[in-house]
Amino acid sequence: MIEASHLTKRFGSVEALRGVDVSVDRGEFFGLFGPNGAGKTTMLRILTGQLRPTEGRARVLEVDVVSEPLRVKSVIGIVPEVESPPSYLTASEYLYFVGHVRKVDGIEGRIDRWFRFFDLEGSRGILCKDLSKGTRQKLMLAAAFLHEPAVVFLDEPFINLDPIYQRKLKDFLLEYVGHGGTVFMASHLLDIAEKVCDRVAVIQDGAIVATGSVDEVRGSESDLEAAFLRIVGA
Amino acid sequence: MGGVLRLMLREEFRVHTSYSSRSMFLSFPIIILLFSTAIAVTSGRLFAYTPLADAVLLLHATVFLYGLSVGAFGFLGRQYLERTNGTRNYIVTMPGLLPMRLRRTFLGMYARDAIFYVALLLAPATAGLALSIPLTHFRITSIGILFATGFLSFLVGMSLSFFVSTLYMRSRIGFVAAVIGVTGLFAGAGTTRTIPLSWILPGFAAHEQLPPFRTDLFAAAGWSLLASAIIGLLVAGAAGLVPDRFEPRAVPVREELPRLVSRFRRLGTYAPLLSKELVDLQRSGTYAKMFFSFVTPLLFLSFTAWFVRYGLQVPVGFNTVFYAGMVGFFGVILYNWLNNVDATDYLAGLPVSVPQVIRAKLISFLLLTTWLGVGFVGLIAWLNADTRLLWLAIPIVLVTSVYIVVVTAYLTGLRTNSFLFDPGVLARFSVMSMLPDFGLTILSFTIDRDPTFAILGIALVLGILVATTYMLLKGIDAKWRGTEFGD
Repeated sequence: MIEASHLTKRFGSVEALRGVDVSVDRGEFFGLFGPNGAGKTTMLRILTGQLRPTEGRARVLEVDVVSEPLRVKSVIGIVPEVESPPSYLTASEYLYFVGHVRKVDGIEGRIDRWFRFFDLEGSRGILCKDLSKGTRQKLMLAAAFLHEPAVVFLDEPFINLDPIYQRKLKDFLLEYVGHGGTVFMASHLLDIAEKVCDRVAVIQDGAIVATGSVDEVRGSESDLEAAFLRIVGA
Repeated sequence: MGGVLRLMLREEFRVHTSYSSRSMFLSFPIIILLFSTAIAVTSGRLFAYTPLADAVLLLHATVFLYGLSVGAFGFLGRQYLERTNGTRNYIVTMPGLLPMRLRRTFLGMYARDAIFYVALLLAPATAGLALSIPLTHFRITSIGILFATGFLSFLVGMSLSFFVSTLYMRSRIGFVAAVIGVTGLFAGAGTTRTIPLSWILPGFAAHEQLPPFRTDLFAAAGWSLLASAIIGLLVAGAAGLVPDRFEPRAVPVREELPRLVSRFRRLGTYAPLLSKELVDLQRSGTYAKMFFSFVTPLLFLSFTAWFVRYGLQVPVGFNTVFYAGMVGFFGVILYNWLNNVDATDYLAGLPVSVPQVIRAKLISFLLLTTWLGVGFVGLIAWLNADTRLLWLAIPIVLVTSVYIVVVTAYLTGLRTNSFLFDPGVLARFSVMSMLPDFGLTILSFTIDRDPTFAILGIALVLGILVATTYMLLKGIDAKWRGTEFGD
């Protein structure tokens, strides 16, 4: 489903990724964790065709992300690190726009469904620039799932959401994975990750330093947070 | 305030160097210096046709317009505060988090840009004139006077722009009234001469009282004081209009996108992109900004042509064909606005490429602005009783508009404002725009003497422009395919 080998990314003299290998299977909930600046977002951006690696290869749903970035984007869903829907479209117009760009059928029905799911009815006609951070985040999530992709890449999806919607999103993602969907998530929220992820990887200074099931990475520690702190040497 | 101003200057410098590189950016004032020296060295020919007083008036008017173009902090600050710049953030937004006054921050922006843009352009241009002294024998005092009074004209333009754009933050009606008032002032001074030019350009009026024209220090001081008072009043007024807190209103708007997508459905993939462009322009108020920023230089051009023809009595044939060429080349301003409405970062996650969005912007340019150029040429032809050449002028304005916008899109992609500060891009842009413009201008002057030659020449230039446009359109894909939104 997701295969990356020897991914390296250099920004000038800064090496953000150093020969990273990752493999995620269909129906898996994969979590990528690491300290700030470890390379999580860079990796996610490469896997979603937003950034070209300096070296290495990656395929998502059998599509080469380097040579066919547009094809990759058309089959996956992405929630970026910063919630940035277009300023001058209304909330519902943004989803309508995404639906048209992605050429999905029955856009109105899908928009209604997501508005109900996130309780966004009151924001329907408000310009995105005037929405709260949390509402923008919900909108980005709705946009990522609008075309029912087989795999989604989520960069800090729970940030800005209140506990009610964190719970709701968590349940939705588990159901999505249960039906064969694949989630690749970068996050700092280890307590949530511990409950939802099948497998995790810890990235530090651009290299994967631990990987395995949650139990394997946790090892003898009491929870994932303690294991994470030990692994990164904090 | 001094510490914040220093940081703001550093921020502005880094923003500009981020567009290209430190060395490329620093070469910009050097190019201006060399350009200014070159003009000074060849100024003998200019002064043979244009009296010094008229050349100085044109310089003041140009510097005033430069000030107008950099002082619109009301628009710029609002854009920053509304976070329509993607992931970028600026010091001006800090009053939202820190115990700072928004009003003082706006004043800081004014001071920052006054220093920054003088250092970027006016100071090197003046240094260029000074460098030419061994060849031109210009007096250093005259150059100093030109800089000082030109600086006043620049600040008057900047302050006026600051005031009017800040008024926009408070009241749309007030903004429209101010624009009508300023336009009336210009029209009164430029055409009927019912308003003295010195009211608008007191810096120029002060200059007229000093060497090499006269030596009336008392009168010069009076005009300089008037200029300073106008600047002070406009800046104080603008600062007073800046709200203590910026609170964007969350007002529901009518759904427009589905109707537009349906209307453009024949355009396939481009339908949602184009529809979004149109909705953006309408809701961000960019239509009005585009209109005024297009019409203002055109009015200035018309005024200059009128002034040369009737004021200076220079028998130059500024006919409809000449205007058509010029109007077409102002299309770059409109394309720049299309790229300044909103950040495009959110498109990074969608199956859309940068070349597709560039093309959507080109389509929206064609749909929105073709009528503006054609309308202006029609109007100027009617005003000058020169409609006999409209059949030739309209194809010229259409071809040159499309050509210049495609050149701009090819060279600058989605970051026109940024890339035009890159000296390498600016040099290519200048060659690609000036050469055909120069050719069309010369041919337009010969149309009455040798119409066959002029028409064939114009047809040849237009043919080359059409072919180049086609090649550049094809090249947009190759040039911008590898780039990402927000890069």
